[in-house]
Amino acid sequence: MKCVICNREADKEDYCELHAKAYESIVEKHDVWKRALEISWKEYLSEIIKNSLTGEWAKEVAEYLIKSGEEQSVTKS
Amino acid sequence: MGKYTLIVTEKPDAAHRIASALDEKGKGKKREDNGVPYYVARRGKEIVVVPSLGHLYTVAEERKGRNYYPVFNFRWVPRYAVERKAKQIRTWIETISKLAGDADMFIDACDYDIEGSVIGYCILKYACGDKEGVSKRMKFSTLTKEELEKSYAELLPHLDFALIEAGSIRHEVDWLYGVNLSRALTISARNWSGKYATLSTGRVQGPTLKFIVTREKDIRSFVPTPYWEVKAEVEIDELVFEAEYEKENIEKKTEAAAILNACKGKNGQVVKIDIRKFQQKPPIPFDLGTLQSEAYGLFGYTPRRTLTIAQHLYLEALISYPRTSSQKLPVEIGYRTILKKLGKVPKYKKFTKELLAKPELKPREGKKKDPAHPAIYPTGKLPESNLDAAERKILDLTVRRFLAVFGEPATKQSMKVKINVDKHHFYLRGRQTLKKGWLRFYKPYVRSEEVLLPLIEEKQTIEVRRVILENKFTKAPPRYNPGSLLKKMEETGIGTKATRANIMQTLYDRKYVRDERIVVTDLGFEILGVLERYCPAVVSLKMTSELEERMDKVQTKREKRDNVLVDAVKILKPVMEELKEKEKTIGEQLSNAIKRAKLEERIVGACPVCGTGKLMILHSRKTGKRFIGCTNYFKGKCKTSFPLPQKGSVRPFERNCRGCGWPTVQVHIKGKRAWRLCFNPECPLKKERRKRIEMRNM
Repeated sequence: MKCVICNREADKEDYCELHAKAYESIVEKHDVWKRALEISWKEYLSEIIKNSLTGEWAKEVAEYLIKSGEEQSVTKS
Repeated sequence: MGKYTLIVTEKPDAAHRIASALDEKGKGKKREDNGVPYYVARRGKEIVVVPSLGHLYTVAEERKGRNYYPVFNFRWVPRYAVERKAKQIRTWIETISKLAGDADMFIDACDYDIEGSVIGYCILKYACGDKEGVSKRMKFSTLTKEELEKSYAELLPHLDFALIEAGSIRHEVDWLYGVNLSRALTISARNWSGKYATLSTGRVQGPTLKFIVTREKDIRSFVPTPYWEVKAEVEIDELVFEAEYEKENIEKKTEAAAILNACKGKNGQVVKIDIRKFQQKPPIPFDLGTLQSEAYGLFGYTPRRTLTIAQHLYLEALISYPRTSSQKLPVEIGYRTILKKLGKVPKYKKFTKELLAKPELKPREGKKKDPAHPAIYPTGKLPESNLDAAERKILDLTVRRFLAVFGEPATKQSMKVKINVDKHHFYLRGRQTLKKGWLRFYKPYVRSEEVLLPLIEEKQTIEVRRVILENKFTKAPPRYNPGSLLKKMEETGIGTKATRANIMQTLYDRKYVRDERIVVTDLGFEILGVLERYCPAVVSLKMTSELEERMDKVQTKREKRDNVLVDAVKILKPVMEELKEKEKTIGEQLSNAIKRAKLEERIVGACPVCGTGKLMILHSRKTGKRFIGCTNYFKGKCKTSFPLPQKGSVRPFERNCRGCGWPTVQVHIKGKRAWRLCFNPECPLKKERRKRIEMRNM
């Protein structure tokens, strides 16, 4: 299977090893953002896309997540 | 000439200095044979000093050809036999052999370290005809006349064979790893794509690339998190200061806003004042690594550039041998003599006078030792020729560091004022130097900021002009730069002081990384990906530093050279088998990465017209002419294009135009200075220039 973002071989689910790391980072940091600003998953993704300090791969994954409308499973509960 | 003593040195400059130092009249006569210089001196009997050109011999495979792997059989051969660009070495070796024929005594005067020892050993063994066993050794750390004369008078009876073994094994192991792994990568890619591209990796290169890639992954996957900082701007005696809130980072916006609201419009009161006096010890003497780091931090010189400059200063006898890991300055170097000599330079006179007035001179030293050389220090000699600006800077830095290590500790005072504003606490911090001590000697290179606070008393009311709330975000770890990467290599014990800077350069040359703040290219990612997937052992830090440690032990005779070599091959064999088996897959992966890297090299920057495409250097299919076009052209979205000069080479330039902010390119025509070109026809700078020319022509 290919990575949905860069076409490299996908290691985990939809992503290659590199974008999978960025996805994990996005999921991990969501809690901090939620506590800090009380924002939703979608708002959070938009915020990190706008932020100039966000890494290139993390931005690509966030853009993909917004486009694909994926819900955040970890924080749903 | 009758029978003479033959001295072998590492470089021509050193040969000249040694001949002049040993000659009774102080002038070694230069001779030439087939364009190879050597020097003749007289000191009771005739002495011939012949230089090498660094390594004249190298490790190579026994079989001919480069298109196969693995290779485990090797021998030492003249460099000209295996390197295309080393033809000059043949005449060099022939001259040395000729001169060795009439010599009755041999002395190795190459640098006293592992590389120098291997250079001298190979020349004496192969070029001079097995003279390594009868040769004597000169040991010195500076090229000053006094030290060279002393070293000649007190010759070591034989070569340092432990050092030679340690050096040879390093060359052999590095060759085994470098040749096998690099060939596996290059051949895999070539067999897949039919195109040749040099790919390389090695015992130290792989783990070094891994450091950078790991950091790059952290940076590119980084997600910043928000936090808030609260500060109070306070006024004391008509001076304004910024006081920090007791909690450095506030993680909730509502909490930060509550603090701001509580403190707004209220004055504070001093609750507590903490004053702490402390001493700042002098710095330790420079070893090569600390000199390279300091020069990078202060002047932006890459470690390789600093080493080249330091090497030149050493050959000019201005500083001691720079390839040292020592942070010690033994008393034998003659502190007072050096200080007296340095005192002849007006800018150091005041400082040397002060130090010479001390009853005892004791330098502050670091922990690191080097069995062969002391830390880097100035010889006190004045330059005979004009030094360029960079050389002057490194020399001044070395001199001031030498002075500073003998200085008194500096006394500093820190002050922490706790201010209560409506039950919220803010801290005002001051820093002041009370006694400068060594800081005066090292002044141009001291990086510390003073914050002087006025007289403040406990219970004093403090006027709060305003309370500031700043929304901040955490930052990704910084990129490595040549200085910090060098430090990392040193800390983890990979490579040697002599090889680290070159290994770093190879990563740039192979296009695995780019820019001063090091960025990994696609090719760099792919190479490391292949190595990690198919041969993780060769990029493992543990394996490299263990091997490094064992090679170090050879130098102190605690490990046998053959054992290290056998074990190195044992690790490498299964790795090569795996690489061979997966050659096709690896070849495809690497070929694609090379293709992407070549494409990346042509990307100039984001297209300022459509905003989504990238501007690239392209060639017209019809005319073959070079131009800049947008990648969105192929999608039918953007037709932006600009002409480019057709002569010379054009490559993307890292910085954008200061006039219009567009990306720029660098044009280089042979024989001319490279220039930066902004291709935006509407650039305000271009318009201004046009106007100026028009005015001039009116």
